Amino acid sequence: MDLDSIPAGAAATMEQRVAFLRRKAREVRFHIVDMIFTAQSGHPGGALSAVEIMVALYFDQARLDPSRPRWPDRDRIVLSKGHCCPVLYACLALRGYFPPAELKKLRRFGSILQGHPDMNKTLGVDITSGSLGQGLSLGLGMALEGRMLKKDYRVYVILGDGELNEGQVWEAAAAAAKFKLGNLIAIVDRNRLQMDGFTEEVMPMEPLEAKFAAFNWRVHRIDGHDLAQVLDALEAARELREAPVCIIADTVKGKGVSFMENRRVWHGQAPTAEEYKRAVREILRGEA
Amino acid sequence: MNLKKAAVPTRRAFAERMKEYGAIDGEFVVFEADIGYSTYSHLFGDAYPQRYFQMGIAEANTMAAAAGMAADGRTVVACSYGVFITMRAVETVRTYVCYPNLNVKFLSSHGGVTAAVDGVTHQATEDIAFMTTLPNMKVLVPADTEAARKCFDLALRTPGPVFVRLMRDPIFDIYPKAEPFVLGGSKCLRPGRDLTVACYGDMVFQALEAGEELEAEGILVEVLDMYSLKPFDATALLESISRTGALLVVENHQRRNGLGYELAAFCLKNRPLPFENLGLQDTFAESGSYLEVIESYGISKSHIKAAAKKLLTQKAGG
Repeated sequence: MDLDSIPAGAAATMEQRVAFLRRKAREVRFHIVDMIFTAQSGHPGGALSAVEIMVALYFDQARLDPSRPRWPDRDRIVLSKGHCCPVLYACLALRGYFPPAELKKLRRFGSILQGHPDMNKTLGVDITSGSLGQGLSLGLGMALEGRMLKKDYRVYVILGDGELNEGQVWEAAAAAAKFKLGNLIAIVDRNRLQMDGFTEEVMPMEPLEAKFAAFNWRVHRIDGHDLAQVLDALEAARELREAPVCIIADTVKGKGVSFMENRRVWHGQAPTAEEYKRAVREILRGEA
Repeated sequence: MNLKKAAVPTRRAFAERMKEYGAIDGEFVVFEADIGYSTYSHLFGDAYPQRYFQMGIAEANTMAAAAGMAADGRTVVACSYGVFITMRAVETVRTYVCYPNLNVKFLSSHGGVTAAVDGVTHQATEDIAFMTTLPNMKVLVPADTEAARKCFDLALRTPGPVFVRLMRDPIFDIYPKAEPFVLGGSKCLRPGRDLTVACYGDMVFQALEAGEELEAEGILVEVLDMYSLKPFDATALLESISRTGALLVVENHQRRNGLGYELAAFCLKNRPLPFENLGLQDTFAESGSYLEVIESYGISKSHIKAAAKKLLTQKAGG
């Protein structure tokens, strides 16, 4: 059962939506591994951990129209952890912003798919990102713009947990609360690994819920691979209009490929041909 | 040249024009990082509170949020001091404003050692190096209050990022109300046949005073106000140096990677000639009165006069 088999106009049940998104998640995971393998360069771990968050946004929650990438009323999505752009590019391609064949050109000279997201090269990318710690500030500005225009679009910012080390994230958090930006939703991909090791060893940032709450954000903590929980949290966040919302999504770095899960080296490493075959096999038959 | 004591510094003139322009253009907004009573951006904020965003002492966040607000085309004027915009937040300005080429304009006060009394922490003496190096960035440096007002209009009309370097203290006024300023333009403030002095901002006045004193000694220097640093007026410069045959660049900035380096490379390629460049010599300045500081650090009229004479000797083959 998936959304393709539901008559137009009929409301999908939560189970149907989750089943549909699970299939999309599998496709996206395949493309992440495939494009990084093809490019022999990229960041699989953090792309794989963010898959459920991203497909929930791109295929269910966000108000988008791929035929009008600059539609003024669209929801904005900022991938602050821009090095994980394979997950973004796969979602955009499968959503119809550009042909999936482009995914094979990730990081190639002349490609629309830069090593980190570029708003002027890739249709569907709302803003350039990739220098860590600054995406929440970008989202803050976009949310202020939405309020200025009296538009009801929302701004979703996907943060890595490692980049929370950056002080600027907290400057933006303070400002978003000051301006009571209920149209701003931050989602922390809490996969517990950053490039040099476990986040709590590199730079402990817990308790994260208390930190964001102390900055006057509303906080939800969920299992970031449980699509029903992701959908519930995003829907709850949309109900709230008087304060910014932070969803801390506990995830597994490298999720869906057993030998990449929870392993630091897969932060930014491309699979070999053998590893690629194994990864694809696992993804295609996987439960994740 | 009629030098009239300026009533207000260029930072204030720029901000006053920003407030006036708020009525002409209802779209642009202003971001401030808690020095609104120094950049005078509060004048705009008082008039248009809905279009004024106080971001606190957090310059990198301010510049990135300005980029976010500009992402769909809005124009944002971001205000702070030169040291903070161009050095604390330089990577934000580079990656999130210049790279996507967004309409963020920078009101950058305390340029050079015009913030003399404040000391090194607040003297932006490397700002031009950083800003002129960034692709897509345009750089303007008005010398007086009328130029500052015109540079505001120019910044708003010019697509993409524009950096405007302003001064802490009032110096002199020279330009009449009707004076036009264009991107890539310059002004010949004193015609002369012996030597071209290219300068910008407050150095224009030192050059003019030096020019007057040198005239008494029979030396006629041509003074160009290169208010548009990037792009600079290559046509006017080439025309001038083709007549005078010598170039002295004077700047309230590090010598290294300032306008002097840019023009030296230009001359080397297009018209090699006797050349000198006055600026800070790989050193920080210090606190003191403006005139004391520029005198001690080699960018006052006395240094211009000495450098001019040396260049003329060189030109004569001496």
